[in-house]
Amino acid sequence: MASNEVLIIGGGIAGMQAALDLGDMGIKVHLVEKNPSIGGKMAQLDKTFPTNDCTI
Amino acid sequence: MLAYSEVTEFSGQVGDFRAKVHRRARYVDQSKCTACGACAEKCPTRIPNEFNFGLNERKAIYKDYAQGIPSVYTIDPNHCRVLQGKKCGVCAKVCQAKAIDYEQKDYDVELNVSAVIVATGYELFDATQIPEYGYGKLPNVISSLEMERLLSAGGPTSGHLTRPSTIRGEVRLKELPKLIAKAEKDENQDGLVQLKQEQEWLEDHVHRFHLAKKLGFIQCVGSRDFRFHKYCSSYCCMHSIKEAIIAREHESETQSYIFYMDLRTVGKGFEEYKVRGAEVSGLKYIRGRVAEITQDKDLNPVVRYEDTERRTVQSLTLDMVILANACSAPKNTPKVAQLLGVALDENNFLKTHPNRPLDTSVPGIFTCGCAQGPLDIPESVAQASSAAARAAEVVMTGGQALAV
Repeated sequence: MASNEVLIIGGGIAGMQAALDLGDMGIKVHLVEKNPSIGGKMAQLDKTFPTNDCTI
Repeated sequence: MLAYSEVTEFSGQVGDFRAKVHRRARYVDQSKCTACGACAEKCPTRIPNEFNFGLNERKAIYKDYAQGIPSVYTIDPNHCRVLQGKKCGVCAKVCQAKAIDYEQKDYDVELNVSAVIVATGYELFDATQIPEYGYGKLPNVISSLEMERLLSAGGPTSGHLTRPSTIRGEVRLKELPKLIAKAEKDENQDGLVQLKQEQEWLEDHVHRFHLAKKLGFIQCVGSRDFRFHKYCSSYCCMHSIKEAIIAREHESETQSYIFYMDLRTVGKGFEEYKVRGAEVSGLKYIRGRVAEITQDKDLNPVVRYEDTERRTVQSLTLDMVILANACSAPKNTPKVAQLLGVALDENNFLKTHPNRPLDTSVPGIFTCGCAQGPLDIPESVAQASSAAARAAEVVMTGGQALAV
């Protein structure tokens, strides 16, 4: 039987957003990240352009 | 969520993929750890913190950043004394939640999924490949992400733009008294003279140079360069402008110069941001390629460049230079691509379908973000939602939607 789950490889901003969207649709997601914490490069940023909002 | 894990085996087809995920041991029980941080406070082992590019230190039991998810500490097995077979056990003693478990083992998880999204992101271009810019040799020439950490209130300098030569100088000054005492004990006269000279020079340097106020940003470092990446990395113009604006917000005397080929501020509100940078934050945009960066005796970077608008070759002495490193495909992308069976393009980003820009060469495997090419955050987020929708189509129809 076909599975109804999704695998996402990479827990940066793109992976996290895709996981949240699929989760909101009621689809089970496995988010795999190689580092101890998710967040990716974005977690290392201070503020984002063009609004200078904080990233975390 | 499977953090601290990697996909090691992969097979199957759309609607029925099988993946084996290798979960690395944290040596901390995730269900018990409250992330109070007592363990890291007492851990005796200090190592350079890679999250802050070695600009400060972390302990052998650590968390990349305070807000990190999952909110749990991790023991670095390469540096922990106990896991290296020595005596310690301090973290286990101070942990009130009894979460430390030195016996924890790696394990594998088998997954059966209908669709896959590859969001493996990018890596910063290694600027040591451009020796004329002196990255890695000149202490006050840094990458764009190092600049982010310096600007961050949660970073190694709590948001102050302390020059790396000062940060490293202060660390060295703490070590020197011990080395001098040792040289005195060993009666090593030559060594003693050298160490004392170094101490004197550093004390003067650290005293005179603290905050960086005159900044140079060099664009297209590794991008639009036929020796390295031919493509434009797209976000770096805006990224440098943003860093320069924030630096000015932190310290009103900051003067920034941006050396560019073209300023590509394409995006909603981006052009206005660039203009505001010049008008409100006093940024100076200089059109020209930087040929070489050297440094003077005070470790100030000296930039030699051609101003193509004035048609002159000039030099400018700055406090700190920030390189806009290109967005490169991660080095292990070929390995990931081989594992999943997806094709790559000539730049080692994931190859995508010309009409369906998030479909890889394998039906049921999608991609989003910088894994498929350089993107800024708003575009990455938009692609991610789109990839999620594509994956949902597969789940809802059992792969039938892709048959068209």
